[in-house]
Amino acid sequence: MIRDITIGQYFPGTSLIHKLDPRMKIVLLVLNIAALFLCRNFFSLLLMFVMSVAWVLLSRIPFATILKGLKMILVILVFTAFLQIFYNDDGTVLWHPVESWDFKITTGGVFSAVFIAVRIISLILMSTLLTYTTSPTLLTDAIERLLSPLKVFKIKVHSLAMMMTIALRFIPTLIEEIDIIMSAQKARGADLETGSLVQRAKALVPILVPLFVNSFRRAYELAFAMEARCYGGDEKRTRLRVMKLGGKDFAMLAVTLVCFAAVVVTSYVNMGSFFLFEKVI
Amino acid sequence: MAFLEVKNINYSYSKGTPFEIAALKNCSFAVEKGEYVGVIGHTGSGKSTLMQMLNALQKPDSGAVLLDGKDINTDKVTARDTRFRVGLVFQYPEYQLFEETVRKDIAYGPTNMKLSPEEIEQRVLEAANIVGLPSDLLDKSPFDLSGGEKRRAAIAGVMAMKPEVLILDEPAAGLDPIGRKVIMDMINKYRASTGATVLLVSHSMETVAAVADRILVLNKGTIAMDGTVDSVFSRAKELIEMGLDVPAVTRIAVCLKEMGYEVNTGVYSVADAADMLLHLLGKKEGTA
Repeated sequence: MIRDITIGQYFPGTSLIHKLDPRMKIVLLVLNIAALFLCRNFFSLLLMFVMSVAWVLLSRIPFATILKGLKMILVILVFTAFLQIFYNDDGTVLWHPVESWDFKITTGGVFSAVFIAVRIISLILMSTLLTYTTSPTLLTDAIERLLSPLKVFKIKVHSLAMMMTIALRFIPTLIEEIDIIMSAQKARGADLETGSLVQRAKALVPILVPLFVNSFRRAYELAFAMEARCYGGDEKRTRLRVMKLGGKDFAMLAVTLVCFAAVVVTSYVNMGSFFLFEKVI
Repeated sequence: MAFLEVKNINYSYSKGTPFEIAALKNCSFAVEKGEYVGVIGHTGSGKSTLMQMLNALQKPDSGAVLLDGKDINTDKVTARDTRFRVGLVFQYPEYQLFEETVRKDIAYGPTNMKLSPEEIEQRVLEAANIVGLPSDLLDKSPFDLSGGEKRRAAIAGVMAMKPEVLILDEPAAGLDPIGRKVIMDMINKYRASTGATVLLVSHSMETVAAVADRILVLNKGTIAMDGTVDSVFSRAKELIEMGLDVPAVTRIAVCLKEMGYEVNTGVYSVADAADMLLHLLGKKEGTA
């Protein structure tokens, strides 16, 4: 069912991760993602994977919920890993069906496939955790503050943040709307499940057209409502919640920085074959 | 055997998550051919969910829906065929229009039924006639129509399938009194020309009382009352306690009764209320 989509959803809670300053959470996420992409061997990757699992455990969000979110990207995951097998010719050859072809599977290929899969999983774990543990308002508030230095270049940071808030706010509304439109067209005999690819694509027209029309209508209504109330959040707006960094924010920053350093050292400083594997990618 | 039968239906949303809510609890009722049934309930009473069960858009967790004695959820083909026999008009149906012309939009259902082009054309004209859409509007884009016309075009889209059971979920929501009357007249016209069973979902007792033969009252996922309009209104006090919007005259009657006057609290039309009050006043004058 379409209602099962959990990406971008927020699960209220009181865990350490929930209580972190949202600005710090975004910074830590960026650091962690950077570290993930800097990983060059299995040791550093394992470290980052353990880190992301630790984050999930700390958030006290049930693993079942997180796995449900992962299910959505399973296809992409398998596809990417599968392609990766053929992009790396290092190591010993495992399978080389036709001698004259360049097509072969090597240990290097398999390693890099596993590598990329673990990397994507860790990436998704950490980034979904950000939205799972931070309410949309706090999140955009944090983005606005992090981007506020850009005001120097006359970039309307507040408007950008407002747009993001609105977009996030309307995701559940849109999902509900798709559900209703699908049911309504099914009630008129729409067949969305059978037929060739072309037929199925055509069957989507009765759903997409009303969805777009209604979205535009809603956007206009919202804009008019905001204008009618003289909305002008750009200028000298004071805040109800003042964000302040605390001890736990700096503690998490310290842990993340240590991991980051460990990844960089093990990946880029030559230490021979001391760690599980030398350079994989 | 009843024409449309609902047997011990149970249904809950978001099963297996902490958000699980029971939407319907052990609901049973039967509707005969040609009946005009009003379905009433507070927001969240489960009336919309129940209506989506009747044309197999939602599957009950347990229990069955029988049309002509056959379970409608046995397989996908039966479920889809049921949707042509049990037409469902959603709330604010005008937001589901999508075609380039009104004609094509009304024809969407009949086309899905794989009827011949002549048959489709005829049905489109019939449906447009029932809802009172002039033929020059048929070649316009549905997005160029007025709000009321859009609503009528959307309802025509369901009527064109000639369902034996027509279910309308708050068809008059957001319309002025004249618009509401137009919609009610359309439904009567459809009934008269096809002999169809009609289920009218509403939270307004007044609307339903004026047109239906029978009323189903849903409360918190269960069927709280099922009977003729008079028998349901005779329990007016309970209706008010359920948070339903009973007609103003009924509320006056209930208040009078509480003040100790001997009145029938089951009145729902202004004419009956006038009679009731005259009777009461006359009696008082007599005793004074």
